[in-house]
Amino acid sequence: MRGTFGLLLLMALAGCTSVNVAQVPSIRDRRDVFVSTGDVKGPYQSLGVVQTTRRGVLLFGFADPAGTDLESGLRESLLPEVRRLGGDGIMNVRFQQTQYPVPTRILFALLFFIPLPSEVTLSGEVVKLGPGAAPPSAGTPSR
Amino acid sequence: MKLPLLLPVLLCVGCSAVSHGSKLSDRPPEGGRGLYLSTGGSPRPYRTLGFAQVLGYGVTVAGYSDVGDAAIDGVIKKSLVDTALRMGGDGVINIEFEDENPPTGVERAAELSESISNVARGNGGVKVRDRNVIVTGEVIQFISSQP
Repeated sequence: MRGTFGLLLLMALAGCTSVNVAQVPSIRDRRDVFVSTGDVKGPYQSLGVVQTTRRGVLLFGFADPAGTDLESGLRESLLPEVRRLGGDGIMNVRFQQTQYPVPTRILFALLFFIPLPSEVTLSGEVVKLGPGAAPPSAGTPSR
Repeated sequence: MKLPLLLPVLLCVGCSAVSHGSKLSDRPPEGGRGLYLSTGGSPRPYRTLGFAQVLGYGVTVAGYSDVGDAAIDGVIKKSLVDTALRMGGDGVINIEFEDENPPTGVERAAELSESISNVARGNGGVKVRDRNVIVTGEVIQFISSQP
């Protein structure tokens, strides 16, 4: 009885918001590719569109051995594709990750024999910047 | 007995699928021939003619063969362009696309294996996976920058 109450209290305190973030390569590092959800102002050459999808399961509600979060999708799938295509960066990026609120994760940590399906998808247009063009966020540091 | 242990391991294997489409329009556009296509904005003043959403449907048979029109390139370069031309557009901007159910390498292998197994045992057919590619965009017509 006390255990059930404790579990319910824990799930109530955990809240119902789930947050996922991914950090992009620094714009000061000109050797790396840029990533932006916006458009490039200035000339560029389109190299094609690309979509990467990573699919796996969450074990015990929290463990993500397949790397199906935004950070992994960006670093391990999307950025390698941009580099492979020879792009300076990728613009108009759209992204979506399967999210579960913490109470659901706790529930499936208890139901550990049922894995949670998880997926992350990122897409965008790979471009090579023309003369004089700058990455979308250059010159406007976000921090 | 080993299957329950093997299954979680297989499910945890990193499964990644990559869908490509060929290049869209450069900025500034080269030569002015063909429709201007971009995931971004327009390089010139324009007026909006409307919006278009195109669905490319297909199937992946036995995890190996992709049949139908569920390819990003075909949907953008053929269906979307045809639609924009019918609307009298000069281009499509703010293009968004989604390959909804791309099979990962592991899934392709599993479906091929299951299909071969089914056919060999004579029960059931080959595995067929539905594929959808959805593309949306704003159809535009360029206008002269001169008043």
